[in-house]
Amino acid sequence: MGDYKKKVLIVLQMPEVGVLIPLVVLSIVIGIINSAFYSFENLINVLRSTSFIFITAIGMTIVLVSAGLDLSVGSVMALGSYVTALALTNDIPMPLCIVIGIATGMLIGIINGLVVVRLNIPPFIATLGMFYMAKGMVLIASKGIPIYPLPDSFNVIGQGSFFNIPYIVIIALFLGVLADFILKKTTFGRNVYAIGGNAETARLSGISVDKLKLSFYVIVGGLAAFTGLLLASRMGSAQPSIGQQFELKVIAAVIIGGTSLFGGKGTIMGTFLGALFMTVLTNGMSLMRVSPYWQQLIIGAIIILAVAMDQYKRRKK
Amino acid sequence: MSEILLEMKNITKRFPGTVALRDVNIDLREGEILAIVGENGAGKSTLMKILSGAYPHTSYEGEIFIHEVRQRFDSPKVSERAGIEMIYQEINPHLDLTIGENIFLGQLPTRGRWLVDWDEVFDRTEEALKKVGLDESPREIVRNLSASKQQLVAIAKALARNPRIIVLDEPTAALTEKETENLLQLLLELKKKGISCIYISHRLQEVYKIADRVTVLREGETVSNYVGKEIVNDVIVEDMIGRKLEQMFPKGKVAIGGELFRVEHFTVPHPYTYNKNIVNDVSFCVNKGEILGLGGLVGAGRSELVNAIFGIIEHNKEAKIFVEGNEAIISNPVEAIKAGIGLLTEERKKNGYIGTMDISQNISLASLEKISKYSLINFEKEQDFARFYSDKLDIRAGRLSDKLSSLSGGNQQKVVLAKWLMTNLKVLILDEPTRGIDIGAKVKIYDLMGELVQQGAGIIMISSELPELLAMCDRVIVLADGHITGEFLRDKVSYADIMKAATCA
Repeated sequence: MGDYKKKVLIVLQMPEVGVLIPLVVLSIVIGIINSAFYSFENLINVLRSTSFIFITAIGMTIVLVSAGLDLSVGSVMALGSYVTALALTNDIPMPLCIVIGIATGMLIGIINGLVVVRLNIPPFIATLGMFYMAKGMVLIASKGIPIYPLPDSFNVIGQGSFFNIPYIVIIALFLGVLADFILKKTTFGRNVYAIGGNAETARLSGISVDKLKLSFYVIVGGLAAFTGLLLASRMGSAQPSIGQQFELKVIAAVIIGGTSLFGGKGTIMGTFLGALFMTVLTNGMSLMRVSPYWQQLIIGAIIILAVAMDQYKRRKK
Repeated sequence: MSEILLEMKNITKRFPGTVALRDVNIDLREGEILAIVGENGAGKSTLMKILSGAYPHTSYEGEIFIHEVRQRFDSPKVSERAGIEMIYQEINPHLDLTIGENIFLGQLPTRGRWLVDWDEVFDRTEEALKKVGLDESPREIVRNLSASKQQLVAIAKALARNPRIIVLDEPTAALTEKETENLLQLLLELKKKGISCIYISHRLQEVYKIADRVTVLREGETVSNYVGKEIVNDVIVEDMIGRKLEQMFPKGKVAIGGELFRVEHFTVPHPYTYNKNIVNDVSFCVNKGEILGLGGLVGAGRSELVNAIFGIIEHNKEAKIFVEGNEAIISNPVEAIKAGIGLLTEERKKNGYIGTMDISQNISLASLEKISKYSLINFEKEQDFARFYSDKLDIRAGRLSDKLSSLSGGNQQKVVLAKWLMTNLKVLILDEPTRGIDIGAKVKIYDLMGELVQQGAGIIMISSELPELLAMCDRVIVLADGHITGEFLRDKVSYADIMKAATCA
């Protein structure tokens, strides 16, 4: 019994719990108003939408923990999906197309990283510029016209499922567990926190700060492109508008999940809960028939509320 | 004796798990300078936070009286209104505002209700600056002032509020010797004008110059109280550390071996000025078991020299570094660490530790390869190392999982030192290793230096504290304006020799 109590206490003291409470409250409220929220189908829907945010948010967590920022992920999603679709319609084997799509995102990451590290430009500016540039590349190449149909062998990734669990959810889960492991147990992960805590100290302690920072942008770029092509696969079409406003959803999920904007703090578990929170909120409002005109306003207010509660709890400690 | 102005009676302050102050009594008379001394963690800062109202009167036991009237400070504003002004160690001026704005921030005089009366702001600022002897325009932007002038602005700000008591917490930490002298003079003048002062400093020499009375705190209790002629250095230091003074510089005799480390023709260019060098063609060597001191004034190029050796800043291409006779090419800290060099930097907070990480993570920071395999961290091994070093260095913290930002300066410095000890260290460079830390931690660091050289390592120590330099170093080289201007062996050198070499640029 004592052991059990201790375990509960440990769980309650985890930083992620900051989101957990609002998340549970929100789920209960939605469930009371519309029990359809708890239908298996809807829960799967929620998990699927969460996965789209979560996959990129994994990379964003790494970047934010290391005291960086990437605003370009939404545009990179569009670019990644577009390049993949282009490859697919040119008779390149499907797995290779996916690699090409992800590589495109990683290339953007390299550019972001180099601009930050070599030109010493703040990540906000560097990636804001890339946000427009990547979007521009898609628009120039596509002239605004989506690519479809896409081959079924590709669409099945986004549309298929395994025992009713969508592949996308499985992929996201796998990536999440992997990233959590890397951040917690490897020297790479340790260095992410070290750089975010104090980059100068990290450098003087023999950590190759610049190389690592570059790699963080490559990771988030690759994951964003991957998310983009998953979205295209889900819709069976590569829309130039894919990923619009996704960067904000992703950053919101990471911050709600307890990651510090100043770096040094944050976990993958928290980010997952943050992404789940964002999705439940949107999903719940549709179920509760909240007017679409009101939804954005409410989302904004609740994001602030959730983070404020978290801050309050921390300060009390 | 003059009337008692301020009394703090039976102050006890508890934090979860510890008692920071136990039944402390302090009194301050009219026109008196009272020095409060003690190690870091002795409770000085806590006591001053109580006096300033930063800890409200409901959060501790005990009472504060001014002229025998009980005071209940529940915020700094209330304490300010009672005539108490605090000047902290880390002054945080608004760098991009003018001196005048800084001084009147929060109480800008207005014309009518909404308009700032700038004429009055700057007129009164000028007056305030005159009081502290600072010859600057009230319209000057604070960023353009040196650290010491900023300190004077902070004092002017305090004086502009016409306080009865000013409290200074380590006010000279950022000041040069001459500036310190000026500040001390200023305090003596203020005293004549009837302003009482509580002065907190690690630099006991300053205390002896101005204090009418010294109160010693140790581990949250008042240990002793000395007036006038009773103020004797040895007695006070022993009271502070709770042991005899001979143990202060515990360096034993260590046999000095062959050459361990040598640098040749080191030149460091000035980062901003073309064709100017901060360090000019410096060569020296360190032997096994030797502690080499680098003496000199601030700005002589000592820190730049060691930073360049460690690969943080650039140096000339002709320079050479040898470790154990083999040339080491060092162009960044990674290579320096590989060559067996460690550097404890001058600014602990800026680049010494990582505040968001805990003790064990900070200790293992520069030697992750020792606790990992295929880049997987072995947490047990990490804990073992952390426990080993925290015992060895007597790091006083609740748990190894405590964040560095929650430790005292002395303990933080021990952790940074532990980080370097854990690497494959051959040469340890210490840049002002004991700055701003308490005597207990200092002794521990001296102890450790002795132990290190006994094991055959070499140490290069930069220090601006001459007693420390002379007591700890086997040999001292002095830098002035980027050149070596003197080299002295221990036992054959006096303060005067070093000062002469340091000023002969």
